Amino acid sequence: MANLKEIRSRITSVKSTRQITSAMKMVAASKLRKAQDAVTRLRPYANKMHEILEHISAAGDVSDTNVFTHVRETKKVLLIIVTSNKGLCGAFNANVVKKGISLIVGEFSAQYKSGNLEILTIGKKAEDILKAKGYKVARNDNDLYNSLTFENAREVANRLMSEYSEGKYDKIMLIYNRFKNAATQDLTVEQFLPIEQSEGNKKIKHDYIFEPSQEEIVNSLIPDSLRTQLFSAVIDSNAAEHGARMTAMHQATDNASDLIKDLTLTYNKARQASITNEILEIVAGANALNG
Amino acid sequence: MYLEIVTPEKTLFSGEIEKVKLPGSSGSFGLLNRHAPMISSLEAGEIKLTPKEGDVTLFDIKSGVVEVLNNNIIVLATE
Repeated sequence: MANLKEIRSRITSVKSTRQITSAMKMVAASKLRKAQDAVTRLRPYANKMHEILEHISAAGDVSDTNVFTHVRETKKVLLIIVTSNKGLCGAFNANVVKKGISLIVGEFSAQYKSGNLEILTIGKKAEDILKAKGYKVARNDNDLYNSLTFENAREVANRLMSEYSEGKYDKIMLIYNRFKNAATQDLTVEQFLPIEQSEGNKKIKHDYIFEPSQEEIVNSLIPDSLRTQLFSAVIDSNAAEHGARMTAMHQATDNASDLIKDLTLTYNKARQASITNEILEIVAGANALNG
Repeated sequence: MYLEIVTPEKTLFSGEIEKVKLPGSSGSFGLLNRHAPMISSLEAGEIKLTPKEGDVTLFDIKSGVVEVLNNNIIVLATE
């Protein structure tokens, strides 16, 4: 039976750990609410953007004229892996990186072997894991999390678009956790560029007046929709991260409580045993004197 | 007619209006009730709207696009 003092100090240490995890859980919960608000606020914009683009394409196809919809032979690939800057959120980061690696050795293995695959990380964790596994991370945009605004995401997206149009990459993929609810994340792989044409159900055609011209509107809307797509991926991942951390910390707190319960039981048993021992010794001693 | 102004970070305005003036990229223009369907890009400038009830409101935008359809006006803007 372990010694009483040892058990007591273990109980204290588990209790203080539980305090930390339960505090982290509450912090994550409040950050999650904020992050979730950002996701909900973007939704109307993203939906309307999609709607208008659909209306325009229903009025006549002009997509061929745009560099971002033009599909090229996939020679050079960029993978954007979106994770978090901080850990302690369960398998959140590991899942994304695992998916990224499976793309590298699977779909894009030819490009990887010929050195035409680059990795861009948003979030320190992906960079850490990938470097530990021996992959080279060409660039990172980890700072984006310091102030997660549309303005900053726009800069990242602008750079990606100009690199794509210059021909530095032929395909840009986006891997991130989509926020579903606090407990579940959907691992999502999206093609960022070139834009995939949705075989849309051509709805009722409206007779629009285009100012200045249909082509110019498409050319200014497509970059906007790409910026929105990137921003949406990052804030979704951010919300999912806080959700994942909340769940992970909740479990850690529960585990600590279970552990404390077990330890207290062991402690009480040990205490009882030592008391019984003492009484036995006293009784034995008294008997010896009387005998 | 109904107007909605949304940005990626929030909805600036939604409600019934009398008229609205927008900074179109080929010149500023106004919209009144029952305007024909139209899509126009917007440049940096000021949106001036007169609601059905209440005072004239101004919004500054950097860029955007507007769609007018069936008396519904949607402005997607960035600030």
